[in-house]
Amino acid sequence: MFQNPEIDLTLLPRAEDLEWQGLHAAFKKRLRVHMAIVIAIVAVAFAVPSFIPGVPIPVILSLWASLAIVTTLTMIWPALAVPRRGYAVRDKDIVFRKGILWRSVTAIPFNRIQHVETSSDPLDRKFDLATLQLFTAGGSGGDLKIDGLGKDVAEQLRAFILEKVGAIVENA
Amino acid sequence: MLKTPETGTWRRTSPFAILFFIGRILRLIAKNAWQSLAPLFALLVTYQGDLVSKLILGASAFAIVVTVGSVLSYWFFRFQLLDDSILIRQGVIKKKQLDIKFDRIQGINTQQNIIYRYLGLVTVTFDTAGSAGSEGNLPAVTREFAGSLRTRISGNGAAEEADESADVPQSDALVHLGWRDMVRIGLADRRALLIFAVAGPLLERLEDDAERVIADAVAMAAGYGLEIDTSSGVWIGVSAVLILIVVLVLLSVAAAFLRFHDYQLFLDQRSLRSVGGLLTRHEHTMDLGKIQTLRLQQGIVQRWLGRFRMTARQAMSKGGAEAKKRYFDIPVVTAELADQLRRQLLAPEAGILTQDPRSNQFAAVSPYYMRSRILFVGVLPALLATTFFSLEIGLYGLSFLLWLPIVAAVAYRSWRRAGYLHDDNEIVRRSGLLGYRTVALLFRKVQRVSVTQSRYQRRKNLASLRMYMASGSVRIPYISHETAKQLRDYILYKVESSDKAWH
Repeated sequence: MFQNPEIDLTLLPRAEDLEWQGLHAAFKKRLRVHMAIVIAIVAVAFAVPSFIPGVPIPVILSLWASLAIVTTLTMIWPALAVPRRGYAVRDKDIVFRKGILWRSVTAIPFNRIQHVETSSDPLDRKFDLATLQLFTAGGSGGDLKIDGLGKDVAEQLRAFILEKVGAIVENA
Repeated sequence: MLKTPETGTWRRTSPFAILFFIGRILRLIAKNAWQSLAPLFALLVTYQGDLVSKLILGASAFAIVVTVGSVLSYWFFRFQLLDDSILIRQGVIKKKQLDIKFDRIQGINTQQNIIYRYLGLVTVTFDTAGSAGSEGNLPAVTREFAGSLRTRISGNGAAEEADESADVPQSDALVHLGWRDMVRIGLADRRALLIFAVAGPLLERLEDDAERVIADAVAMAAGYGLEIDTSSGVWIGVSAVLILIVVLVLLSVAAAFLRFHDYQLFLDQRSLRSVGGLLTRHEHTMDLGKIQTLRLQQGIVQRWLGRFRMTARQAMSKGGAEAKKRYFDIPVVTAELADQLRRQLLAPEAGILTQDPRSNQFAAVSPYYMRSRILFVGVLPALLATTFFSLEIGLYGLSFLLWLPIVAAVAYRSWRRAGYLHDDNEIVRRSGLLGYRTVALLFRKVQRVSVTQSRYQRRKNLASLRMYMASGSVRIPYISHETAKQLRDYILYKVESSDKAWH
């Protein structure tokens, strides 16, 4: 029987009033450790001109001062950015939000997902974290990437999404 | 020769495929190997002996190598049709086997050069989705074979009525381009402008040379007692430039004739087909269901001519030149014809909206779109540059303020151009600066959707909506946050409740 019910726009499920799931608590620390390693390498590189005689002192000072500023910012940044990130899994799609200055909310319907990938680099493994990547068709920009999930959570999400995608394929 | 697609046997194409392979080898040499041929040629010339006979020897050796190579390529080229795919084996030294699955094929394109046209042969190119480097060719197969392949592949996955459709008398052409349209394409071709821009500096040099030649001529003429004054000298220079422009335009029009002569567009059942070309006839097909976005473009010249260019885009895995080949191109249409075509292309669910950019049905985006651009791209950088450089170069630093009116004009124009229009199934976005561009898409074909707000937008309660399609993304900037959220929720509803394939 053909049906064509009228849709009340105000009653459509809103991808807004959701219970956002935060990222893993260790993610902030992981980001900071990562940045600390990078900064340590830069600091070693900066140390070289500091010990060469003849390099003007203002130059050396400004080098270290800028490094200090960058260090402070990168240590503060995770505390601001990580709480802003979150995801919400609904019956038919997954919604991800992020951003401090540019805030964005991205939604991917399960019936458009081509494949799912989880990965963890050595630092992730140290903190028991994983990254979940969702791929849709088309070459338009990167697909949805959620990093800083607990390893178990990422696995669960992957299994759940694959099950959803599979169920859709079977029904079609 | 091949008449019907039989399955399960290896076979060769027509021996005329050798022509195709000659072309391919020559192209390959032209692209990669001419540097290594040049020393050989030099050796040949410097080696003792009669130059003419050596050249003849060299040329015939080259011809023999190319011919033998082509014959071998032909001999080792075999293909086999299976139930759901086509296998191609090729390669003389390095063997290669291609396995092209029918359901990965987006369309079948054919090319027919002037010799093949007399023989009723075509070269088939399979347009596969997102598998770079594995595009397959079938050179020199009969027209009927290509046709039956086409019905077979479009029948695969879709309804099984494909065999009947082959008997249906051919529909009338929806679009048929004449010589006037070739002129329009030639005039509107951006490459013509580009050649001109590149040739611009060269022209100046030419002018210098021309001036000297003219001066000499004038001096000489004066010597002979003829009267040529400087004004007629300038006139000669100007007319030289004019002639050059005319030649460029003529070349561009000639290119249009080569590519689009006798262009015809057909709609056979659910697939779009175009044929065109003067020497080599190009035939392209695209399944209507595969269309991701429909684009209507109008540059300055086209605006003046009152014409548009329409392209249908399908799923692709990468951008750039490779993706461009996959556009289904309708080079000149009027706005009315474009809307009429859309109704057929997006039927039954959509295509009712107009894509004519002049339509007053488009909803404008917020004027803050313009204001934020003027503020962040115009005012702030201009003030910074002015204050910074005024310390260095004094009052001349004020010239940076000239940046402001330029940015303001650009921002105003693009704000005026920006707009959108939608119904229950479809959305059309309009944009542009000098020309116009409108993109139409079906809500249910969206892959993912995001709503983004900058700090500035948050303060004004605005947002930008981006719809990611399999063919690229479409953004609607600076609409009210509430509208963006509502559209997003509605798109998700459409996608998630749709049981149709998006490709």
